[in-house]
Amino acid sequence: MKHIRNFSIIAHIDHGKSTLADRFIQYCGGLDAREMSAQVLDSMDIEKERGITIKAQTAALQYRARDGEVYHLNLIDTPGHVDFSYEVSRSLSACEGALLVVDASQGVEAQTVANCYTAIELGVEVVPVLNKIDLPSAEPERVSQEIEDIIGIEAVDAVRASAKSGIGIEDILETVVSKIPAPVGDPDAPLKALIIDSWFDNYVGVVMLVRVVDGTLRPKDKIKFMATGAEHLCEQVGVFTPKSVQRDSLSAGQVGFIIAGIKELKSAKVGDTITLVSKPAVAALPGFKEVKPQVFAGLYPVESHDYDSLRDALEKLQLNDASLQFEPEVSQALGFGFRCGFLGLLHLEIVQERLEREFDMDLITTAPTVVYQVLMKDGELIEVENPSRLPDLSKIDEIREPIITSTILVPQDYVGAVMTLCNQKRGVQRNMQYMGRQVMLTYEMPMNEVVMDFFDKLKSTSRGYASLDYEFKEFQTADLVKLDILVNSEKVDALSLIVHRATSVYRGRELAAKMRELIPRQMFDIAIQAAIGSHIIARETVKALRKNVLAKCYGGDITRKKKLLEKQKAGKKRMKQVGNVEIPQAAFLAILQVGDK
Amino acid sequence: MTQVVFTPHTGLTQLPPLSLYVHFPWCVRKCPYCDFNSHEARAGFDDLAYVAALLRDLELALPAVWGRAVHTVFIGGGTPSLMSPAAMEMLLDGIRARVRLAPAAEITMEANPGTFEAEKFKAFRAAGVNRLSVGIQSFDDEALRRLGRIHDSRQAHVALDIALHHFDNVNLDLMYALPQQTLALALDDLSQGLAHGVTHLSAYHLTIEPNTLFSRYEPAGLPDEDRAADMQEALEARLAEAGFMHYETSAFARPERQCQHNLNYWRFGDYLGIGAGAHAKISSAEGIVREMRHKQPTAYLQALAAGDAVQTRQRVARSALPFEFMMNLLRLTEGFELALFAERTGLSLAAIQRELAQAESRGLIERSPTHVRPTLHGQRFLNDLLTLFLKDD
Repeated sequence: MKHIRNFSIIAHIDHGKSTLADRFIQYCGGLDAREMSAQVLDSMDIEKERGITIKAQTAALQYRARDGEVYHLNLIDTPGHVDFSYEVSRSLSACEGALLVVDASQGVEAQTVANCYTAIELGVEVVPVLNKIDLPSAEPERVSQEIEDIIGIEAVDAVRASAKSGIGIEDILETVVSKIPAPVGDPDAPLKALIIDSWFDNYVGVVMLVRVVDGTLRPKDKIKFMATGAEHLCEQVGVFTPKSVQRDSLSAGQVGFIIAGIKELKSAKVGDTITLVSKPAVAALPGFKEVKPQVFAGLYPVESHDYDSLRDALEKLQLNDASLQFEPEVSQALGFGFRCGFLGLLHLEIVQERLEREFDMDLITTAPTVVYQVLMKDGELIEVENPSRLPDLSKIDEIREPIITSTILVPQDYVGAVMTLCNQKRGVQRNMQYMGRQVMLTYEMPMNEVVMDFFDKLKSTSRGYASLDYEFKEFQTADLVKLDILVNSEKVDALSLIVHRATSVYRGRELAAKMRELIPRQMFDIAIQAAIGSHIIARETVKALRKNVLAKCYGGDITRKKKLLEKQKAGKKRMKQVGNVEIPQAAFLAILQVGDK
Repeated sequence: MTQVVFTPHTGLTQLPPLSLYVHFPWCVRKCPYCDFNSHEARAGFDDLAYVAALLRDLELALPAVWGRAVHTVFIGGGTPSLMSPAAMEMLLDGIRARVRLAPAAEITMEANPGTFEAEKFKAFRAAGVNRLSVGIQSFDDEALRRLGRIHDSRQAHVALDIALHHFDNVNLDLMYALPQQTLALALDDLSQGLAHGVTHLSAYHLTIEPNTLFSRYEPAGLPDEDRAADMQEALEARLAEAGFMHYETSAFARPERQCQHNLNYWRFGDYLGIGAGAHAKISSAEGIVREMRHKQPTAYLQALAAGDAVQTRQRVARSALPFEFMMNLLRLTEGFELALFAERTGLSLAAIQRELAQAESRGLIERSPTHVRPTLHGQRFLNDLLTLFLKDD
């Protein structure tokens, strides 16, 4: 066991985590050159494009160190985004150490800070690495200082590396061996294995990536999930190199996979503890949590007959993404679709993109919303995750909205602008700390303001320098109202929003104006109204087109003119017919563009 | 056991009238907005050789229309008025010798200012041309320059004087919504044209067509859609005052002076098309076939020498017929008699009942038990009306 090192990498998006992981695999000979397509650990297309790891993966590496000994290094990849902070915490708790990879020219970002704090709380040894050291803009001294100021760990002798050019790879591996402690655990104690991640494989069913803390697991052992109580027969165990390789057993300190003929992902929850039926552990490992969706949106097929294909596609995605929730929903405007729950905005975007790209779905997405708690006058407490389902105000005693604690790390130059933005978003400042050239702001903020457009606004006010991390704090009573949009006097339920009364009139006006820009002129005037209750607060008109006709058409033109009209028709089909008005997909997300110039 | 095979028949019980289109592909210069099959005659052209080819082309096409009379002839381009009188005479004599021309058949020739000489037009008339279509486009020198026309307003007036001196049936092509054009300028163009006493007028909204110079470099100052619509309405009103009937989307005529050749297109009639890039539509008991000849003059001449000038020949699918019929007939202000649908397509009216009902409920057409016609709204939004008849496939 003293030759095992379990570690993960903490890094901000784009700071080079995946490239570094690939270098380790290459250096330790996990894959030959032919198998080494760029960024092995990020296997999904979207991950490759965006440079974000969504699912944790792992590689068991054999490293011959300078002391002549061979070490077994288990690299556990972690998701790199705020939406997946729970998954990150589970990955980290499976490790004894973590490499903190920081871009030597960009410095520390909020995401990294949050993950580092999680690691430190879990007692994980954090080892700093400065990446992209070969860039002309690299400032290793400044960034080392920043790591010490913000995160509070020693960083003077941080390894300087460049994953891209292969500089310092061996130095990092040496540091892993020397600084990160070997796992401790008793291979003969009752089994305790932590589920780091789980996913669905078409051939073998659910595959679980686990860290064995105590005990030993062999095929044919009967296993038990301590949170759900379910029992299964272990069929196979093994490790990823990153190719999957079967082993006779997994024992204390090791990281590997378990296959147990499980059909549904929800039976193998991330963070759950696996033990043996024959010799169960007394207590589960700490930290297990049921993940609950925080952000909801309606997903509707543009063409109603695609409803079944959309359901099939969502079911397929859910096989590998237990945090995605959906249930059927009917909208007067959009017909049959699904109300989907996501961990956060990025999660929503990823699901939406995968549906469009991998399943070729043509979708209308409604504006994202959070869950509201509504206390009715009769004392009942209900949860509302679709603004159009908000009960009549006369029956409501109070509405409570989720409040988050957000941590923003921003260079000093932009602090003023970011504070103004936070105030606009009804934020309440809780803390402000100068850390080197950066400032850490802590705000309590209504989550509905954050899901609306806060990320984009934060990025634009800080020229991309500010970074954000947040966590749910509590539900708080607020003066909220429902804002409705009417198109030619018909209420479009899919466009309803819950907003704070103080900003409702402004929001209504801006939204109506934005809709006017987005809805193309048609054969008749289109009235767009914003209303709160029965009170109309804004009105815009899309003036009727005057004509739509081809000036010339003679004998020879027929095929070409036909193609032109077919194109016009195809364009219309991508829009949703509400009453007799054709509304383009983008208009259902108009609220996200409000205030943009 | 006897196997019974049903061959689908078209249900065409009679053949529609037949026209003949003749394409002359050369121009002095290609205009930047033009997407017709026209080519600058840089190396000149041999019009007599081209006419000989046209006649050969016609002969090869005859078996498909054996015995049918030709009701109209249209010589379009390009700029057919670049032809010599001798070539024109050879062409029309050759046509008469090969097909049965209906008595008083309308024979139209397109002509562009800058190619007008009085003697030549007298000879065209003598050769048998009885209708001229003059491509004026505008009388505003600035507008003509921006459109890349080879003529100025003075030449336009001279052309119309010569045309009307020799012909009593003359069409004038105008365009509106030109770069930098105002409503007043558009109306002024119309007044100047009407003052010549033409019998037919085509007023086209300038359309930026793909694969033209204008689509690559959009001209500055194009009127927006509201200003263009204002122009259209003002031009229509002025033409009505002047006694012109608005009988098709862009066509206006004095009583009895509609273009018979174009009407045959719009009534889903048949036409032979000879010459480079010419299109044909021929009905027979087997169905409706569309043909296109090679577009490049040299390719056309070579293919013809090899025995067949046709580049593509396609049977029109029955499912496409309702749309193709509507695309033509609904351009006409008078619409059509319902019986004509079955006569021209061989389909039963049931094929379009649902679409007609939809169109009526949206106020795009008016119906009587025997007749369908577009409303004014339907004329203005003809594309929306037509897409109702487009089948998804």
